[in-house]
Order: sequence, then C-alpha cells, then structure tokens
Amino acid sequence: MSDAAVSAAPTALYVYGLVPAGTELELSGAGVDATDVGLLTEGDVAAIVGVVPLGQFGEEPLRTNLEDRDWLERTARSHEAVLDRVLGTTTVIPFRIATLYGDEENLRGFMRASGALVTGLLAAFEGKVELGVKVYFDRASAVERGAGEAESGQDYLRRRQAEKTASGEADAFAVDCARTSHEHLSAASLDARSNRPQASELSGRTEQMLLNGAYLVERGDARLEQALRELEASFGEQGVTYELTGPWPPYNFVPRNLVAA
Amino acid sequence: MSESTPPLEQQVTLLELVDRVLNKGVVLSGDITLSVADVDLVYLSLRVLLASAGTIDRLALPNGNGNGNGNGS
Repeated sequence: MSDAAVSAAPTALYVYGLVPAGTELELSGAGVDATDVGLLTEGDVAAIVGVVPLGQFGEEPLRTNLEDRDWLERTARSHEAVLDRVLGTTTVIPFRIATLYGDEENLRGFMRASGALVTGLLAAFEGKVELGVKVYFDRASAVERGAGEAESGQDYLRRRQAEKTASGEADAFAVDCARTSHEHLSAASLDARSNRPQASELSGRTEQMLLNGAYLVERGDARLEQALRELEASFGEQGVTYELTGPWPPYNFVPRNLVAA
Repeated sequence: MSESTPPLEQQVTLLELVDRVLNKGVVLSGDITLSVADVDLVYLSLRVLLASAGTIDRLALPNGNGNGNGNGS
C-alpha cells in the first residue's frame, strides 16, 4: 500500500469483509482506530480494507486491547459501522473483528484461492440480512406461580413439594419453548443458527436466556416478525419475552473455515 | 427493517455487538497467525464486559470446552 513516508511503524491490512467488485466505497477515517477504509479488488471480488498499526493489532497488543473495554467497544463499533454502511448499498460477507493480513500480496492470494467459495457466498447473500432473536424466560416467577397454584396453605412439606414440581415443569417448559421458538423462526427464514445463550450475569437480566438465534431473511420480508408475534401470543403469558435485533450483516452465516489461517 | 430503523450503533448494546463480532465464529487470522484462541477471546470479552458492568465480582466460566454451536438450554 502506501510507502513508509507517514510512519515507519509496522502495519497490517485489516479486512472488514468482502463485496462484489465494482462496489463504490470511500470511508475516510471511519475504520477502526480512525483509519481510512477502501477497497482492494481481485477478480470479481473486492475486500473492504484498511491499514492498521501492528502496535495495536499485533498479537500481544491485541491480547491486551481486547481486555480494555473502551478499546473493544470503539473497535467493535467502528467495525460494525463500516459493514453497516456497506450493507445498505451492496451484498457483503462480513468478517469478525481483527482479521489481518501481512501485506497486499497475501490478501490477494487469499482472495484468489477462495474465489469460488466467495462468489458463491455473495450470490447466496444477495438481498439478505441477518436478524437476531433472543428469547428470555422469567423462570423464577413461573415457578412461583406454579407452586402457588398447587399450594393449599400452611403445610410446609406440601409447599416444598409443589415448588419442586413447579421447578421441574419450568425446566421442561423452557426446553420446549426454546425448541418450538427456534423451529418456528427457522420456518419463517431462509437459514438459521442457534448460538449458545448468554449467561444472565452477562446480559444483566434476571430472566434466563432460552435462545440466542440468528436468522437469514430476505431484506424487508416481514415473515420473521410475524412469527415472533405468534410466539409472543403463545408464550408471553408464561413469562417469555422476545427481543429482535438487526438487520445485521450475515455474520452467523459465513462459513467458519472461510478465513481460517 | 424499515427506513425508520435507527442506525445499529444507536440501538445495539456493546454486548449484542460483541456477541456478533467476537462470538464463537471469531477467526483471528488472515495470514497473520495470532494465537489468541477462539475460546480465550470469548472469555476475554466476557471478563471485559463483566468488569465494566461492575455488578458481578466473579463468574464461574465453563472450562474451555462447550464453545461450539450448541444450544445450552
């Protein structure tokens, strides 16, 4: 890329994702670490790319920086903002943060080697977006309700037994609800992924996360939202809530081996 | 989904974002081999977030495995 006039510090190419060749994109200073973002074209594909200092993105600095909440947030938001801009105008294969190439020739080599897979993915993603759905279950209230119904009063042992029964029922319900929800949402989408639910310590919510799903849909297709409303109607009264996010670039539908070193 | 949808950066929490850009699919690669492993990175990000939340002093993290695609419910 540019010569060493600006800085002699070692750099690497940070790749945000891949788009079809011919895409127009010029984002000055909008990349991670306020770097410029541009395109590097190889054949039918272009990489969304910026030059970043290895002083921040090399192995050791990266390890440290990922522990720094502010750095992580800045970087993650810049990364996503770049892809979000691109998603609005063309098809994109999003990479996760910190995908780095040593130099332009290496990146071109990767693009040539993965050409068929990449053009296939771009065709598959055309006009599609990812939607996220998280399903939460207020288990404690459900158990309380269940036990309350069975309660006939003062008998401590009976009360304990009722709670135990209600607890088992709540667990069975949670499993069933998660499965039913994912199946119903999958049926309303083109492709689906179920990720590990986040721990409640992390989400900061008292409810249990039952499902952390990602769904590939045609942009503007309302079927998934319709399916969500149907699920809310079925399970809402039992303490289940649904949270929709997106549209996202299709992060969860990029094969994991695409960029494997 | 409509034009009125606010930009992602406004509606999305850091956790939701990290769930995507750092989640199990983390591939730190290209041709620069970084030994920050997949699993480590997920837990690093958990620690960062937890520390920032300031509400939890400790979290019993699973031991290294179970980082796959499974549904843990």
